Amino acid sequence: MELLIILLIPLVAAVLSLIHTKKGKFAAAMTIIAAFSVFILSLHIAIYPHSGMAQNTPGIKGWLSCNPLSALILLLISFVGLTASIFSFGYIGDAAKKVGSGGVRRYYARYNLFLLSMLAVPMLSQLAMVWIAVELTTLFSVFLVSFEETAESLEAAWKYVILTCMGAAFALIGILILYRGLTIAGGSAFTWSELIAVSPNIPPLFLAVAFLFILIGFGTKAGLVPLHTWLPDAHSQAPSPVCALLSGVETTTALYVIIRLLPVIKVIPNDYASMWLMIFGLVSVGTAAFLLLQVTDYKRLFAFSTIEHMGIILVAAGLGGQAAHLGVVYQIMAHAFTKSFCFFAAGAVLLLSGTRDISSVKGMIRTSPLAGVCLLIGGLAIAGAPPFAVFLSEFSIISAGLAGGHYLVIALLALFIVIAFCGIMYRVNKMVFGRPSGCCPQGLSLPFTCRLTLLLAIVPVILFGLYIPGHLHNLLRLAALSLGR
Amino acid sequence: MPEKILFNVIQVVVVMLFSPLIKGILDRLKERIQSKKGPSIFQPYFDIWKLFHKDEVISDESSWIFRITPYVVFIAPIFVTLLIPVLTDYPLFFAFMGDMLAGGSVLALGGFFATLAAIDTANPYGPMGASRTRMVGFLAEPVFMIVFFTVSFVAGSTIPYIVQQAWITPFANFFSPAHILVILAFVMLIIAENGRIPVDNPSGHFELAMIDESKGLEYSGRGAALMKWGGCMKFFVLLCIFLNVLVSPWGLATGSSLWGLFCAIPLILLKMFCFILILAFIESSLSKLRLFRITEFLGFAFVTSVVAVIIQILEL
Amino acid sequence: MAQLNALVGGLFIITVFGIISVRQMLGGIRLFVLQSILLAISACILGVVHGSIHLFVVAGITIGAKGLLIPWLLYNMFSHEIHARREITHVINIPSSLLIAAGLTIFAYFVVHPLLGIDSTPFIKVNLPIGLAGVLLGAYAITVRREALPQLIGILTMENGAFFAGISIAPNMPLISELAAAFDVLIIALVIGILTRKIHKRVGTTMVGKMVSLKEK
Repeated sequence: MELLIILLIPLVAAVLSLIHTKKGKFAAAMTIIAAFSVFILSLHIAIYPHSGMAQNTPGIKGWLSCNPLSALILLLISFVGLTASIFSFGYIGDAAKKVGSGGVRRYYARYNLFLLSMLAVPMLSQLAMVWIAVELTTLFSVFLVSFEETAESLEAAWKYVILTCMGAAFALIGILILYRGLTIAGGSAFTWSELIAVSPNIPPLFLAVAFLFILIGFGTKAGLVPLHTWLPDAHSQAPSPVCALLSGVETTTALYVIIRLLPVIKVIPNDYASMWLMIFGLVSVGTAAFLLLQVTDYKRLFAFSTIEHMGIILVAAGLGGQAAHLGVVYQIMAHAFTKSFCFFAAGAVLLLSGTRDISSVKGMIRTSPLAGVCLLIGGLAIAGAPPFAVFLSEFSIISAGLAGGHYLVIALLALFIVIAFCGIMYRVNKMVFGRPSGCCPQGLSLPFTCRLTLLLAIVPVILFGLYIPGHLHNLLRLAALSLGR
Repeated sequence: MPEKILFNVIQVVVVMLFSPLIKGILDRLKERIQSKKGPSIFQPYFDIWKLFHKDEVISDESSWIFRITPYVVFIAPIFVTLLIPVLTDYPLFFAFMGDMLAGGSVLALGGFFATLAAIDTANPYGPMGASRTRMVGFLAEPVFMIVFFTVSFVAGSTIPYIVQQAWITPFANFFSPAHILVILAFVMLIIAENGRIPVDNPSGHFELAMIDESKGLEYSGRGAALMKWGGCMKFFVLLCIFLNVLVSPWGLATGSSLWGLFCAIPLILLKMFCFILILAFIESSLSKLRLFRITEFLGFAFVTSVVAVIIQILEL
Repeated sequence: MAQLNALVGGLFIITVFGIISVRQMLGGIRLFVLQSILLAISACILGVVHGSIHLFVVAGITIGAKGLLIPWLLYNMFSHEIHARREITHVINIPSSLLIAAGLTIFAYFVVHPLLGIDSTPFIKVNLPIGLAGVLLGAYAITVRREALPQLIGILTMENGAFFAGISIAPNMPLISELAAAFDVLIIALVIGILTRKIHKRVGTTMVGKMVSLKEK
């Protein structure tokens, strides 16, 4: 029942956001309240398991259900949804002069719908419905990307919608073929649990073809190379809170579909699925690492880092085995928290400096200590420096791979990660330290809500590198278990 | 045996006699659609008659090719007539002399000579038309080949008499996608090969824009008559191949009686009339394509024929 | 029945080729409508064969959403574009484009060929490869076009292709997913339409191919 309520809250909030009020803060407040209640409910689902979390949390039978992995994804989405909504309060309030109060209200309505579609992805148990939900995440977020309505943001939105819709059609073919396989194997309902149950009876060829289509299709949405070209554009042109959602969790929801298919595609002989996952993953990590070396826009920097992390998750999924699976879920969590924090920091810098150009931002730590420190911590954390969460997850993936004997893959992965680390730190270093350039007008300070968000979002980034609460650790372990057969 | 030879001769006579009529009807139809009165449907006969009674002028600079071309152009369709079902649905005496590819190559021979003759006199418009015809020709060639491949793939033969039976036994074959698509592609081919709109405007009088017509500009008198008549027969023969072999063998004489054969003549003409009605409609509703767009037109015909093959393979 | 379906399949793929090669925006929309009608016909044929009412509903939805509503939307949103700009450009010239498309069709056939070896009815044999070819060719149409509306039609073609395959391989999919998918297609058309208007208002053209400011230096 909580699952249904989680879906209803953003829907109600979306409708309420459109109400015209005098001061125009109503929609923002509404959204924050909605996001907060969704977060509390998700936390409840994730932390207080109903009679053994290994079983699916009962939802509405056959339509909504929640297993540990989806509970984790749900938690991530709702957390980033909450922080981003608080960040929006100050950030979008700033833009209200440009777009008018109608624009702001529409922003919050779309924001809630976008949140709704993302929350639906891990909860729906029918694969066909999951596809539709993933497609809706694109469609509801298009106008969030083009919020500023500059030529660049419109271009980014165009690329975003066209490429991801293209990918969605491929994924649809894959899902239909999978459904055919399910029917051949005697399955009746097209749900995750049924699929996993009958997958040994599905002809492997069907699984293989379906898997490739789904990998390409949802891979487009997750920003896998070579269909990644929209991602740096959309993730850099959107308003920063939206970037945090897009980069932090939207890509993850697309990846979630692929990850959740792992137990199904394991039955394909010859490690077929692992091979493709590792190839796609490594190509993505490699390409992103080298592209990271030549970006000039700091939001694009973090966007490319998203591609890199998606690749790492895919490689880890391809490695297989319990340890690697734990690495997968850990990496998903670490990336979502860290990347959204990075974009909040980048948003703060953008608010202060008014430019996205790396070379014109210098000495951030002196201009605004809070933004500077946050940018530094975000950069370090996302690049994978100890003692942050990403370091731990990458480390566990690498050690799992070495234990599994995939030396070449791990060597390449490690090399790319190091290159990416250098790329990110070189830029962030230049922005944070040094003599302040004259770009930032003095006396400009961050809105209160932005500062609050930064403080909120930094908690998991620092905390989970050092200590993971028992409940959460349990959830991660169960989620990793659900990826194996 | 002797009556089969006789029937073959009757077929040839029918083609020779009625081909100008079909052209006359088509011209008239087009004029009528444009709300004009139009010439009599017997106008091509009058033209040919008139041309036979005129003196022929031949350029001193031209070679023997120019002189024999009208005869080649005239005889080529007659040869093809011997190979294909015009009136009967059973093979006649010469039917196994060659298959559809042979028929195609005989028709192409006529075209080849017409091209050479157009260059021969060094009239500036002749070579221009000739080169354009060649361009259309070799764009149409692959479509021809694919259509024939599809046909032979379905029927297991390229002898027209065997092919025509394959489309209707069993009757459901008539609606097979390969059949419909081949028909579509072939209609486009007929349009391209005979210089109809949208590829070429047969009634245009502007030499620079001509494709097919400009090749015969140098002929006069008997030569012109033979060229004209040959052109009519080529059109008629192509229609026969299309209607009797590719579309359906209905309306053809089945028995070996002379009476049945004569009954078949009006039926064939009726079929042709139906088709040229469609053709006149197509021609009237489209405008002529620019020269470089012809590749697109024929490219589309090519794709259609390729799809026919693919569907045929899919269905197996 | 199987042959009739195959005929519909053949015509369907020809409309896809048409969408790749057509030069006029209006022609593109008309071909898309025709294509949707063919999809609906195929759904009806399969509905008769499988004796399932809900394929008829799919056919009805297809006609309603893609045959009427989306064209109506497009006519209204792009009325200026449709009538003012008759010739739309192509990245590759059309004959070679058609050849590549024919190659892609054959490729689609080879992709699904092994599947047909395991499980095939006369309907799957035709619909699955043609549907996949529709998806691939739709993607190809998007890449060779530089204009907003043709790219949108490419997307819709891809969806049609996926559905064309879907009605044969998943005839008993829950109806609600079909409904939701039709709804989804509508939203795609609407969202892209609105986005195009915004681009037109801001940039002054719908030549989205000309927008190349975002890239790595």
